[in-house]
Amino acid sequence: MPFRFRAVTLMIRFDGVYRSYSEWPALEDVSFSVEPGEFVVLTGPSGAGKTTILRLIWMGDLPSRGRVEVAGYSSDRMRPADFPALRRKIGVVFQDFKLLPDRTVFDNVALPLQVAGTSTRAVRKRVFSLLGEMGLSHRRLSMPHELSGGEQQRVAVARAMVAHPSVLLADEPTGNLDPVVSRRVIELLVEINRSGTAVLMATHDPRQIPPRLARLIFIEQGRIKDPSDIQSVEAR
Amino acid sequence: MIPALPMLREACLNIRGKRASLLTTFLMVSLSFVVFDTFLVVTWNLRCILEREQRAVGIEVFLDGGVGEAAARSMADMINGMDGVMSVYYVSPAEAEALFRAEIPERTDLLDMMGEDFHLPASLQIGLLPEWRNTERISTLAASLSGFEGVSDVVYGEDYLPGLTGLIGTLHKLDLFAGTIILVGVSLVVAGAVRLAVARRSLTVEMMTIMGASDGFVRAPFLFEGLLSGLAGSVGGLLFTYAVSQILSGSIDHSFLPGRWIGGVILLGAATGLAGSWMGLSSSLPSPRK
Repeated sequence: MPFRFRAVTLMIRFDGVYRSYSEWPALEDVSFSVEPGEFVVLTGPSGAGKTTILRLIWMGDLPSRGRVEVAGYSSDRMRPADFPALRRKIGVVFQDFKLLPDRTVFDNVALPLQVAGTSTRAVRKRVFSLLGEMGLSHRRLSMPHELSGGEQQRVAVARAMVAHPSVLLADEPTGNLDPVVSRRVIELLVEINRSGTAVLMATHDPRQIPPRLARLIFIEQGRIKDPSDIQSVEAR
Repeated sequence: MIPALPMLREACLNIRGKRASLLTTFLMVSLSFVVFDTFLVVTWNLRCILEREQRAVGIEVFLDGGVGEAAARSMADMINGMDGVMSVYYVSPAEAEALFRAEIPERTDLLDMMGEDFHLPASLQIGLLPEWRNTERISTLAASLSGFEGVSDVVYGEDYLPGLTGLIGTLHKLDLFAGTIILVGVSLVVAGAVRLAVARRSLTVEMMTIMGASDGFVRAPFLFEGLLSGLAGSVGGLLFTYAVSQILSGSIDHSFLPGRWIGGVILLGAATGLAGSWMGLSSSLPSPRK
């Protein structure tokens, strides 16, 4: 039986993953897992390999060695048609929001449903409902440049969540926001996690999330380290 | 199955706001097609002339003075039954003289000089079926006719016929060559334009890919753009060439391309536009790497 039809006991699993770019090792022997519904904070200094890990999860790149398994899909058994199917189970939020500047808030949020071939009526219903939940209804016809940074990131989170993903990846989601707005975005991610979606957040500042709410994975120079090493890194 | 409405919407967003680059692509494709269409108009008119000439190709069998009208008509019936012969017409000496006087009135003095006893020879004018109007078959038929009793000479345009057949063959090859050059040239122009479009919309392409858009969904708007560029360019080229053709029609007697050829040019435009955008996409869309 193909792997993807088995019951998913782990949402994400890295098994001895190496990834190099032009001989430069970005990741070395990385192994970890994320369970369904878990909140994991991936932390480490800039250039440690956090974004590379996220990119390997949505399989924008494949591991040079080792194996990545996400929502039942395995990197060593991917067929071309599997990539879109896997990515529809993942929502991604970026530090710089990556909202499409030539379309409205409504159209930005609707895009993941449209690429999946959802009917126009279902798209409207879901997007209106989500924008209402996120307090963005009044902004649905605004263009991204008309929004504040906090609003833009909320739109980006709405876009990532609109297709009910199994896992939400957030790459430094508060990196461009002030502390007050950052706290609101973190609260939003915690809320999303409480509704059952696994969240993997990459950040260089793990203090944003209380330890009781999330498990910490510390990465430095492409290798997973003991989280207790964080203090020595911070000291440096 | 690619959802049509979002795909069309993406295509419109692709096209919107880049009028300058679209205009450049349109002009370059149109210019390529103007060159191609001009070549086709010349080819078409030459072919019309050549075909008219070819339709006139036949064999003229001159008879000895001793062959009477009855014998000549009996020979005509026999020749009419031969392979490749479409028609046989007997031209009597009196008719030949009348024809000479009608067709070459400035040289009738030659006939007058020869005196009343002189008569032009009677002849049989043989029309041929279209597939027999080539050098090889005509010369074979002429050889067998020259062996008939009472035949003094057989003429079939042996001087110009091989050249005519060769010219038509060369024109066909030139059509193919020019078509290939245009196909490659226009494809490269459209490929370059689509590469630029992908670079310009790299964020959209990246986000669609991350959101799980299928390869077809990402490609379709760019393919649509390429198709439109090819179509618009070929139609623009045709319109420009037609306008020039109309301007020149007073000084140069010619005809514009027939409908079938115009349809072919438009289809070629669409096909090269599609091929070009496919080429452009295959080298510019992101794909997972190990």
